[in-house]
Amino acid sequence: MATERSYVSYATAAVALAAVPLSFVGPEGLRLAVIGLLMLAGPGTALVLLLRFDPPRSAQATGALPLSIAIAIAFSLAMSTLVATAMIYARLWSPPAGVCVLSLVTLAFLGLELKRPKRALVRAK
Amino acid sequence: MTHETATSLPVRTAHRHEAQAHAHAHVGGAKPPTHRNLGLTPSWHIGALAAAAAAALALGVWSMTQVDPLRIGGAGLIGALPPAYFVALALSLAGFVASLSLRRLVPALLTWQLIVTVVLLDGADPIIHGLPRLEASFRHMGIADTISQSGQLDPTLDAYFNWPGFFNLLGMLSGATGAKDLFGIATWAPVGINILLLAPLLALARRLTANPRQAWAAVWIFYLASWIGQDYLSPQAYSFVLLLTLIACLLSVFGGWAWPTERTKFSRWLARNVSKLDSSVPRYGAVEPLRADTAVLVVVCALLLLAMTASHQLSPFAVIPILAVLLLTGRLRLRFLPVLAVVLPMGWLLFAASTFLEGHFGQLLGSLGDIGANSLGALSTRVSGSDAHVFVVYTRMAEVALVWILAVAGAIVGYRRKAPWLAAAAAALAPLVLIPLQPYGGELLLRLYLFSLPFAVCLAVLPLMSENTAGLSLRRALGLLLMGAVLATATVVSRYGNDGMESFNDDEIAVVNRLYSTAPTGAVLIEAVRNTPWRYQHYADYDYRALVAAEPIPNAAPLSCDAVNQIAHKAGAYLIVTESQKEAAELRGSTPIGDLQRFTATCATSPGWTKVYENAGGVIFHIEGVSNGN
Repeated sequence: MATERSYVSYATAAVALAAVPLSFVGPEGLRLAVIGLLMLAGPGTALVLLLRFDPPRSAQATGALPLSIAIAIAFSLAMSTLVATAMIYARLWSPPAGVCVLSLVTLAFLGLELKRPKRALVRAK
Repeated sequence: MTHETATSLPVRTAHRHEAQAHAHAHVGGAKPPTHRNLGLTPSWHIGALAAAAAAALALGVWSMTQVDPLRIGGAGLIGALPPAYFVALALSLAGFVASLSLRRLVPALLTWQLIVTVVLLDGADPIIHGLPRLEASFRHMGIADTISQSGQLDPTLDAYFNWPGFFNLLGMLSGATGAKDLFGIATWAPVGINILLLAPLLALARRLTANPRQAWAAVWIFYLASWIGQDYLSPQAYSFVLLLTLIACLLSVFGGWAWPTERTKFSRWLARNVSKLDSSVPRYGAVEPLRADTAVLVVVCALLLLAMTASHQLSPFAVIPILAVLLLTGRLRLRFLPVLAVVLPMGWLLFAASTFLEGHFGQLLGSLGDIGANSLGALSTRVSGSDAHVFVVYTRMAEVALVWILAVAGAIVGYRRKAPWLAAAAAALAPLVLIPLQPYGGELLLRLYLFSLPFAVCLAVLPLMSENTAGLSLRRALGLLLMGAVLATATVVSRYGNDGMESFNDDEIAVVNRLYSTAPTGAVLIEAVRNTPWRYQHYADYDYRALVAAEPIPNAAPLSCDAVNQIAHKAGAYLIVTESQKEAAELRGSTPIGDLQRFTATCATSPGWTKVYENAGGVIFHIEGVSNGN
C-alpha cells in the first residue's frame, strides 16, 4: 500500500511539475493531456494523499476508495474553477498563471504529506 | 482495487456465515474478511466475464459505427440501430448481473462492466455522430472561448455570464493549453462525465444501502435509468459531480445527529420517530478521519458548495433541501452547512448575479407558488409534436414512473426488513420542494428527476435484491436482469428520442463556418428555428436572433419572409436554415409540417434575398437592408 501511495505521489508531482512549462509552450495534445489531468485530479489527489484517505487493504476498508477518488476529482475541479473565477473577478486573467497556482497547491500538499507522521491513518468502517 | 466483500464462503461454514450476515444486515454491516472466506471464485470466471464485457464493447462500438444517421427518424436513434447493438447491450447487462452474482465481489470487474455499459448507452455522440450533442454544447464552447480570449465577463449578455464558474474553468483549460476549440472534449463529454460520476455514486450508494452488492446494483440502475441527457459539456453536469461528491462526503464523514437527541422535546420526538421508521445504522463506507483531517474536509465541503454556486443557478438550490432532510434524519451532524448552502447562492444572486436579477426579477418570481404550471403545466406542453415524438415522450414518462414505483416499493421493503431506507427516501423527495419556486424554463421536472435519481435507485434495488450478502439467487438475478433490460431499452428510446434534432453533422458545421467567414463582425445573424450548432466562436461578436424557438407551439403560424425583412430592414442580416432546424421544427411542432422548406423556397426569390452558400447541411441567405440600397 505504501508503494502504491508513493507511485501516486510521484505521478501527481510529475504532472504538477510538467504542467508549469506546458502552460506556456508545447504541443497542443500534450498540453491538453497534462494540464487537463492536473485540473481534473491534481490538487485533489494530493489532498487525499495528505489526508491519508486510503485505508488499509481490507474488505471493510475499501469503502473509502470510491470516496477518495470522488473527493480527488471534485476538489480538483472546484479548485480549478475557483482559481479561474478569482482571476476573472480580480481582472488578473492569465490561464498559465492559474495553472501554476494549481501546480503549487498540488506540490504544497504533497510536501506536507511527506512531513506528516506516517501513523496518521484514517480509520474506515 | 481489492476484492470487496466477504462473500465467498466455505461450504461447511456457509450457513453460519449467512446467519451472521442476516444478523448484521439490519445495521448495514458487512462481514469482515478472513483468509478462509476469500478466493473461492475461480479466476477463469472473472476472466471470462471481463472478456464477455470486452466482446460486448467491441460489438457495441462496431454496431454503432454501422448506423446511418440519415435513417434516424422521429422516434430517434432506436430505429437506426442494428440488431447487433442490442445483442451487445444484452451481453453487457447479463455480464454485470453475472459479476454481481459472484460470491466474491470483484470491484475491478464490476467497474469494467459499468464502463462498458456507459460507453454503450452514452457513446452515441462520439461514435455515431462524431460531434457534440445539443446546440447548447456549442454555445458553452463559445462562452469558454470568449472568456479565454478576453478574460472578462459581460453579465448583460446572458445568464451564463452571471454564473461563469464552469466556463472560467473551460476558459482556463483552453487558454493554458492553446487548444483552438474544445470539440473533442465536448463530443466525449457524456461518456467522460458518466465515468466521473462512478466514484461519487458508489460512495453515496454505500452509505445509503445495506451492503456493497446493493450499492453496485444501485449505481448500475442509475446508469440504466439516467436518460435526461444532462451529461453533456454543461454547468449542470459539472455541478452534479460536485453535488454527489459533497453528499457522499457528508454521509461518510459527518454522519450522525447534529444535536444531542435528548436536549429538547422536539429533538427527542424527532429521534424517536426516525428510529421507529428506520432503526438501521449503516456503517459500511463510513470513515472516521483524525480531528485535523475532519476540519480540512469541512473546508473541502464548503469549497465544493462555493464552486457549485459560482457555476450553476439550480444545483445549489437543490442541495439545500437535501442537506435539510439529512440533518433532520440524523445523517448530517454539521448544523451550519445547510445554512451556508442557503447563504452562498442567495449571496451570489444578490451580488455577483445582480445584473441578471435586475433584468429577470419578474421572471424569477412570476411563477412562485404556481405548482400546477411549474409541474404538470410544463409536462403537458411536452406531450406534443409528431406521433413518433409523442411515443418518445410517453416512454420517458413511463420510465420515470417505473423508477419511482420501484423506489416506493423499496422504501416499503426497507421499512419491513429494517434495512436502511429513510435517508435515501427523504433525499429523493427533497428536491421536489423546488417545484413551487419556478419552472426553470420548463425543464424543472427533468432536473429534479436527475437530482432524485441517485437516491431513488438506492431504494429501487431493495425489492430486487435480498439482504443476503453472499451472492444473488438465480431468481433474483433474473429479476434484476429483466428490470435492467427494460430500463436500458427504455433509455435508448428516451435518451436518444430527439436525436434527429439534437445531433449535428459536418455539413451543418461547414455551413456555420461559412457564415462566420462571410458575415462581417457585428452583423445580424438569424436562425429560422433555435437549433443551430453555432456560437462556438464569436459568441459576443454578432447579433444573434431566432425566428421561433424549438418548442411546441400550438397552432403554430407559418414563417414569413416579412419577419426576416423586418429584422434586416436597417442594416441587413444573414439567415441560416439547417437540417437540424427542420428536424426540430417537425419534431416539436414549432412550425406547421413542411413549413421550413416552403419558407426557404418562397423567400429565396424575394427581392433583396441572395443565396450565399448551400450544402446538404443547410443554406445561408443574405438579406439586404436599407443602408445596403434596398
